[in-house]
Amino acid sequence: MSPSLATTLRNIVAVARREFLWRGRTRTFKITTLLLVVVGVGLALAPVIIRFIDRGSTGDRIEVVVGDSNPAIDVPGALGLLLNAPIPGLPTDGDTETDYRVEAAADIEVARERVVDGSTSALLVLDRTAAGDLAFTLYSKDTFLSRTTQLVRQAASSIAIQDRLIQAGIPPIDQAALFAPPDFDVVAADPNATTNGPQTGEEFVGSFAISFVLSILLFMAIILYGQWVAFSVAEEKNSRVMEVVLAAATPFQLMAGKVAGVGGLALVQYIVVLVPSAAALIFQDRIASLILGGSSDVALPEGISISLLAVFGVMFVLGFALYAVLYAGAASLVSRQEDVNQIVAPLTIISVGGYLVASYAGTGLIPIDSPLVVILSFVPFFSPYLMLTRMGMGTAAPGEIAIAIALLALFIPVALWIAARLYRSGVLMYGQSPTPRTLWRALRAR
Amino acid sequence: MSLVLNNLVKRFGPVTALDGISFEVERGQVFGFLGANGAGKTTTMRIILDILRPDSGTATWAGTPTTDVPRRTWGYLPEERGLYPRLEVLEQLVFFASLYAISRKDAAARARDWLARFRIPEYEKRRAEELSKGNQQKVQLIAAILHEPDVLIMDEPFVGLDPVNVSLLKEAFGEMRKRGTTLIFSTHQMEMVEELCEAVVLIDRGKLVLGGPILDVKRSSGRQVVRLGVEGDAELPWLADLEGVSIVRAGVDYTELDVRGRDPQDILAAALARGERVTQFLIADPSIEQIFIERVGRPPSEDHHLATAAAPAAPTVAAR
Repeated sequence: MSPSLATTLRNIVAVARREFLWRGRTRTFKITTLLLVVVGVGLALAPVIIRFIDRGSTGDRIEVVVGDSNPAIDVPGALGLLLNAPIPGLPTDGDTETDYRVEAAADIEVARERVVDGSTSALLVLDRTAAGDLAFTLYSKDTFLSRTTQLVRQAASSIAIQDRLIQAGIPPIDQAALFAPPDFDVVAADPNATTNGPQTGEEFVGSFAISFVLSILLFMAIILYGQWVAFSVAEEKNSRVMEVVLAAATPFQLMAGKVAGVGGLALVQYIVVLVPSAAALIFQDRIASLILGGSSDVALPEGISISLLAVFGVMFVLGFALYAVLYAGAASLVSRQEDVNQIVAPLTIISVGGYLVASYAGTGLIPIDSPLVVILSFVPFFSPYLMLTRMGMGTAAPGEIAIAIALLALFIPVALWIAARLYRSGVLMYGQSPTPRTLWRALRAR
Repeated sequence: MSLVLNNLVKRFGPVTALDGISFEVERGQVFGFLGANGAGKTTTMRIILDILRPDSGTATWAGTPTTDVPRRTWGYLPEERGLYPRLEVLEQLVFFASLYAISRKDAAARARDWLARFRIPEYEKRRAEELSKGNQQKVQLIAAILHEPDVLIMDEPFVGLDPVNVSLLKEAFGEMRKRGTTLIFSTHQMEMVEELCEAVVLIDRGKLVLGGPILDVKRSSGRQVVRLGVEGDAELPWLADLEGVSIVRAGVDYTELDVRGRDPQDILAAALARGERVTQFLIADPSIEQIFIERVGRPPSEDHHLATAAAPAAPTVAAR
């Protein structure tokens, strides 16, 4: 049957409208949205909140007991220099950087009490081994892997080296000069290469973090809201209202309406949650200065451009639509809501795959220019993740982005057609379990 | 202007649900669709509505394939009742009507009108899941007729209704028929068929067994049913001597006879000739139920009764 375009649109709108309004009016939806907004803004403001809670302390205090080790250098002074020195090549964040205060202490037991009660964050005790080397013991409530522990450990190595130098008869030199980090640059081997990925800490944060965050946003939308679409199909199938609707509308209209209605509401919820959260993130310095005093600037995070956001918007909507359509088609093959998770699992795995490849490419675990990444960045299931990552990294030409978007947009009607086929055969198939053979038959059915 | 099904075949995997079904429904007819469970009634209806596609064969309405007929031609009341459980009654009706290009305002007015006519106006704002089964069924029927379809197709419309609602539904049938709506419904209840239908088809295991105007169907068996009652003698042993006459049921009041290939008047003549005082004499066509049993070999409502129980198991001897 080939209903007129007007009929098709009318029915899609009618189905989408019902889904959107009914779902949007439920108390569950309103409460969830409110909760998500609170959680999102809370997470965005977490650094400010933590600083607000910690505003009494001026930083982390570390106490040092030198004891009988009799080192040749001023250990508390050197430790303070080393702990507060910027580490070259790693991302730094001037606002959240902890300032360490290092103080000398005499009594191990008393200082240890202060670590336990929290007024001191760690206690470093020096000693000498039988061989005459410095030995360090750190009393801390942190784990072995905590940032403070690692920094103290690095600093201790430097102090031990200097101690050995003095022991070997090399005269002590200015500590600040000794511990100053050397210049260290990474340069692309191929002189013609556009870029070798991020070169500095700031670039790393900018390109990696942005594409990482955007990938996560898409990933979460697909996993969370794809399930919505899938469950709404299974629910309708369960109430068998499907047959009545199918007598009035074609499977294609129903499917498109459902995806538009549920997907539209999902996007609305997503935007309602994201906008305040993003605003909180961007304005957190301003908010912090209001609460904590001081002044700061408001700026878009490094690496975000209007064009990147625009491409993200398009890729997000198209990518989500593609997955939502297929989730709906898959869900129409099962008769019980409990089976929905199983039947959509392959789609979820594909989505996870795209996300993982994108984050590996973003961190450089897979070279961003490797054929795998480049080819997958055109494949509809993966392009929303990978083309975005490549664009964030500055390795995608505008033409490539346009081709990826066009391919994605063209693939959606194909997916709709497949899903409508599955739907037509699936909705009246109660209790049968879908096998590859039944799926194949469903696709070929007239 | 009629609905014509021509040689419909539909298989579901190894099962042949329809095996060459052909029949015709005249416009404006009340048409009964008979068959036991699993005979293929629902599949045929779904094909007419283009919910399913046949493997071969055609279905046309006024010469146009049903796949190309505007959807608003059809109203459908499926056997598995389906409403959105958590949607308000009026909202549901407006939604279903909107799929047939009826404006929301118009749909709401029509829905309120019908709710009032079915005597459930107070349920307008209730969610479907809060309604009793009978009332849900009324809402479902309203959903099927709100857009004033030319053909109303109903799968077992009387199942699950109490007698009051059955008579409401029958009245609604009459009204729609007066408007010229073609009514097609399937049922197990043969008395409904005799009461309402102008034509029937009987299908069994995917094959058409018989079909046509109800009087023709009744006469197609080539036999008639005669009820004879006489004073005194209830046994009537002399009937066994008449050729083509067999006793269906011997009762105290009257005896029911099956008459094949001879004039029923002969029986009356024979009784009078023997000097019997006849108290009852009635000639009738066999009931649809009798024809169903005769052609299918089991009653249409067989599924409503338990199958014969297996022989009781021998008492188990306790171990030890």
